[in-house]
Amino acid sequence: MRLIQIFARAALTALTLMTPATLLAEPLRIVIDSGVIEPMPYAVPNFIDEGGAGEYAANISRVIASDLTGTGLFREIGPEAFISQVTSFGAPVAYSDWQAINAQALVTGAVSGSGDQIVVKFRVYDVFSGAELGEGMQFAGTPGSWRRMAHKVADAVYSRITGEGGYFDSRVVYVAESGPKNARLKQLAVMDYDGANIQYLTDNSALVLAPRFSPTGDRILFTSYATGFPQIYLMSAADLSIRALDQQDGTMTFAPRFSPDGNRVVFSLERGGNTDIYTLDIGSGALSQLTDSPAIETGPSYSPDGSQIVFESDRSGTQQIYIMSAGGGEPVRVSNGNGRYGTPVWSPRGDMIAFTKQNEGRFHIGVMLVDGLEERLLTSSFLDEGPSWAPNGRVIMFTRQGAGEGGEAALFSVDISGRNLRQITTDGPSSDPAWSPLLP
Amino acid sequence: MDWDRGTIGSALLHGGFFVWVILGDWLFAPQAVPEIPVSEVSLLSEAEFDNLTAASAAAVSPPVAASDPPPQRPAPAEEVTPDVLPEAELAQPDIAPLPDAPLADEAQPIPVPSTEVPAAPRPIDRVEDTPVDDTNDTPELADTVTPEVSEQPAEDVVETPPEPAASPEEAATQIVTEAVETEQDAPQLPPTASRPPPGRPKVVEPVPPEEEPPVEPVPEETAQVDVTDALNEALADTPTEPASDPTAPPGPPMTSGEQDALRVAIKKCWNLGALSSEAMRTTVTVSVFLGQDGTPDLSSLVMIGSEGGTEASAEKMFEVARRAIARCGKAGFPLPPEKYETWKELELVFDPDGMRLR
Repeated sequence: MRLIQIFARAALTALTLMTPATLLAEPLRIVIDSGVIEPMPYAVPNFIDEGGAGEYAANISRVIASDLTGTGLFREIGPEAFISQVTSFGAPVAYSDWQAINAQALVTGAVSGSGDQIVVKFRVYDVFSGAELGEGMQFAGTPGSWRRMAHKVADAVYSRITGEGGYFDSRVVYVAESGPKNARLKQLAVMDYDGANIQYLTDNSALVLAPRFSPTGDRILFTSYATGFPQIYLMSAADLSIRALDQQDGTMTFAPRFSPDGNRVVFSLERGGNTDIYTLDIGSGALSQLTDSPAIETGPSYSPDGSQIVFESDRSGTQQIYIMSAGGGEPVRVSNGNGRYGTPVWSPRGDMIAFTKQNEGRFHIGVMLVDGLEERLLTSSFLDEGPSWAPNGRVIMFTRQGAGEGGEAALFSVDISGRNLRQITTDGPSSDPAWSPLLP
Repeated sequence: MDWDRGTIGSALLHGGFFVWVILGDWLFAPQAVPEIPVSEVSLLSEAEFDNLTAASAAAVSPPVAASDPPPQRPAPAEEVTPDVLPEAELAQPDIAPLPDAPLADEAQPIPVPSTEVPAAPRPIDRVEDTPVDDTNDTPELADTVTPEVSEQPAEDVVETPPEPAASPEEAATQIVTEAVETEQDAPQLPPTASRPPPGRPKVVEPVPPEEEPPVEPVPEETAQVDVTDALNEALADTPTEPASDPTAPPGPPMTSGEQDALRVAIKKCWNLGALSSEAMRTTVTVSVFLGQDGTPDLSSLVMIGSEGGTEASAEKMFEVARRAIARCGKAGFPLPPEKYETWKELELVFDPDGMRLR
């Protein structure tokens, strides 16, 4: 019996000692709390021509690369660095070759054409993980819309890599300027977000200002001096027909903006030397006054859910930003820094407000949270003003004008991180940009 | 009215009398008599006169300086005569003969002062009294308004190099906006306070070892004990040292320097530049097994937790983390081979909170 006891004790001891400790031990835990912020290297070999695509295959891949690189978040690796070539859309990807040139993402695609239709299909790969990001996708359209198809592919690639929506397949309405500075001629124009496909919507017979797209992109609000005084007008983007809104004698209306549902317009109305904020029901023409203050209150902008309105007012003695309920009521001041704040615009995401700030002789485009915290100035120049959000709330376009006689107005865009400040190429001096929603 | 001779004569005489009375003092005034100079004198007695003369004699006698020696004639200086050198030793210049002035063939005119009237000065260009109406000099109208001239002197024009259309792409551990960049150009002030010294480490008091209970002696002669009891007793007496801390790694622990080396190797590939704002608010924890050469087994790489974002944003952050591990672990992480049992499985927490825009 003694022997049995000794044997059992020895066996259990050995069993315990031989138990893999790693099955019981915690793995080594490392916290990574800092990294790098740099454009992500990627490659877009020319899309494969699967027949009938002609020059569209190469052109589409170039527009995609231009879109992605233009965000400042990506850096294209040129074809001269490629080790392997993509010869077929369905061919397996040689990941090691793309890893060797440090391409972290790879976009492959093919274009085929038949009759008056072209089809673009593409895939996105995470090179170092050796996996495809999402699934393959294709778009079909007319050859004349090949740029839009390229923008849509770029939007999809952007979204798969960053996790947020794109903004490439969108348009921008703006004021095209011409003539000497003391006798400026202004007309409405619209272009792709990257400055391509410019079209003029009005002639330059009357001064026009502050165009704004409707939430669906089918209408445009703007201010015109056609009658000698500023009045707001509504234009149909389809046939460019124009009609005046709330034209009353002895009043001036300006700074219009659509409500998120597109049924109302919020704007400023000047009557008897006092400017307040009003809303107008487009269908019924019913007018509602939201503010009643001796101060100048203008620049209203709805929150994305339509429940609140942000605007600027000098009721405190200096120009500041306030938020009130969409039905009016006592506003709450949200800007608290030094200087003067104006032209507030609510982000499409609803979490931030872009604004123009003037302080110590410099103009800035900035963003802040809706409670006024975490104010961040993105630009600084002689004159920056009029921010407009991209559909995804990631990029802001605005007007920048240089000093002196030679300082022409131009359109610029900047990432909300403050990076990637770049000028939008137009056909002349331009101002007052307003971004459309993503096109259907 | 008839005037007789007597009346006329009387009138003339009376008129002359009145004229003499009125103008007589002026016409026949006598010459002024010159004023006679008068000198004042006083009378002196003889004694007073003697005293005056004695005082005048004493006043004019020359003063005598008692201390000054009388001047003496200076002795004549010794005469210095130069040594005379023989004439032969000095070369003297020859006496140049006077030039003979040639006589002119003709009589020369003798210059005399000119008596001619000097010519009038040459006319010079001068400004006309009346302005010239030149229609060709009319200034052109500018298309734009010319700014007023300021009284303040203009600053020196500094030519700035053309700015690129886009900001340069460069890696950074934090984002610097255009606005912040201008503020950072300002001179940096010295720190106003220094960091406090680190605190003294706590002294860990040694824990006294617990006294083991005395082992009861086993009686030699025991009753019938079945195998189950023997096994239970054996289990109760089995040394429990290896199982006392089941979470401790079996190998030697990683030093903080070794852990930092691994952290640096991963974070240099953790690129957050192409992430959404939502994903930047998401912390993910991933698990991965490593080979003995330090290379990650990507098939074992899984996300075991996330915090602070949506499922989609966690997925994007996981993809970025996976990319970082795959890129920088391709050649193996710098880990001590002798501690493989310690690091063969890693639990990596990717926390972007410090990188998020504020």
